[in-house]
Amino acid sequence: MDDKRTRFEALVLPHLDAAQRLARWLCRSPSDADDIVQEAFMRAYRAFDSLRGPDARSWLLAIVRNCHLSALAERRRRAYEPLTEEHQAQPAPHAPAALPDPERASIARDQGRTLARLIAALPEEQREVLLLREVEDMSYREIAAVAQVPIGTVMSRLARARAALKLTWLEAGGEPHAVR
Amino acid sequence: MQCAESLAVQAAFDGELDAVSAAAAERHAEHCPECRALLEHLERTRTRIRREVDYGRASPELQARIARMLDAEAAAAKRVLGAAPRPAWRLRPFWLGTLAGAAAALAASLAVVMLAPLSPAALPDELLAAHVRSLMPGHLTDVVSTDRHTVKPWFAGHADVSPAVADFSAQGYRLVGGRADYLDRQRVAAVVYEHGAHVINVFSFAAGVRPLPAQLSRSGYHLECWHAGDLGYCAVSDAGWEELDGLARLLQDLAAHDTR
Repeated sequence: MDDKRTRFEALVLPHLDAAQRLARWLCRSPSDADDIVQEAFMRAYRAFDSLRGPDARSWLLAIVRNCHLSALAERRRRAYEPLTEEHQAQPAPHAPAALPDPERASIARDQGRTLARLIAALPEEQREVLLLREVEDMSYREIAAVAQVPIGTVMSRLARARAALKLTWLEAGGEPHAVR
Repeated sequence: MQCAESLAVQAAFDGELDAVSAAAAERHAEHCPECRALLEHLERTRTRIRREVDYGRASPELQARIARMLDAEAAAAKRVLGAAPRPAWRLRPFWLGTLAGAAAALAASLAVVMLAPLSPAALPDELLAAHVRSLMPGHLTDVVSTDRHTVKPWFAGHADVSPAVADFSAQGYRLVGGRADYLDRQRVAAVVYEHGAHVINVFSFAAGVRPLPAQLSRSGYHLECWHAGDLGYCAVSDAGWEELDGLARLLQDLAAHDTR
């Protein structure tokens, strides 16, 4: 096996799960998420020689995020072009997006009050920093590298995300009792 | 109204402050009801997210797609190289040289493995590689059990050491199972824990008084090692330092009790 691929598999491939989780949190549809991850890995492989420094995870997740943004732009562009004017109605920006199946099942169980749904309702920029901090355990500096914003912005987005969760809990009738 | 210190309190909670600033933020929260409530909320949110929200792992289909994509990319790169004109003497099958080289490399590495224990410098690489290998589908555990009385005896027949094993679910570290690995010229015991979405491998092996690698981070993974009796333990994970250290401390306490 050639050297580039061996190094890629040792440094980048181990972060496949984290890439998949971020894509899933960003675009919320499992099949779209897989497409984004595949595209991101292809871009990452082609740009692998440009990877500097030890932090392959932040580097890969930043690529995943960019792929998500360009897929989004592409979908919007295509949604406009082939359709006649009366079919152009876009889904409302706040329409509930399709949730991954396990989430759908658990939401059915808990009548739409699960944490996953509350988080899914957060603005994307907040959802992203919350995931990277709480689930991927990344430092502010690593998150800033992924989201491509200053550390101060990471801190304020994180604070807003956490405060918004508290507010939605309160609106949903107080803090939902812990599951299990 | 938002307290001016709330971002500092949050940063302290996230482990982003140095000890002095963190202590200052803690002292502030002690007499600021708003920040005390904030800390409680942060703690509760973290616990619930880590316990309840699971976006899982990459599916086998996705892993296969990525592998196919890499095959295609590598093949395309080879075609580009192959298109360049070559001197006549290079026209023998291209793999002959590769094969000879690989055989020589294999022989050389075998010789090194047979002759010398791993240098302290090579051990972290071996441990990280073993951790990464364990995350490949179907490689994580040889014995699956959350019961220490199943996992610990299993090692008797499969590894050269008998490590400290316990289920720390109550503290957030779920015992998943065990695995035997070959590292550092011996059969090493790997005990597998899960903390939230993170897998933690705890390797243990006969180390005597040999120095172990210092704490280090490489490509998003952390490594922490310690001695307990004549065993060396090394925990590897992509979980945060604090989380890794939490498990290390639990295991150190356990080993201290075991030997008493």
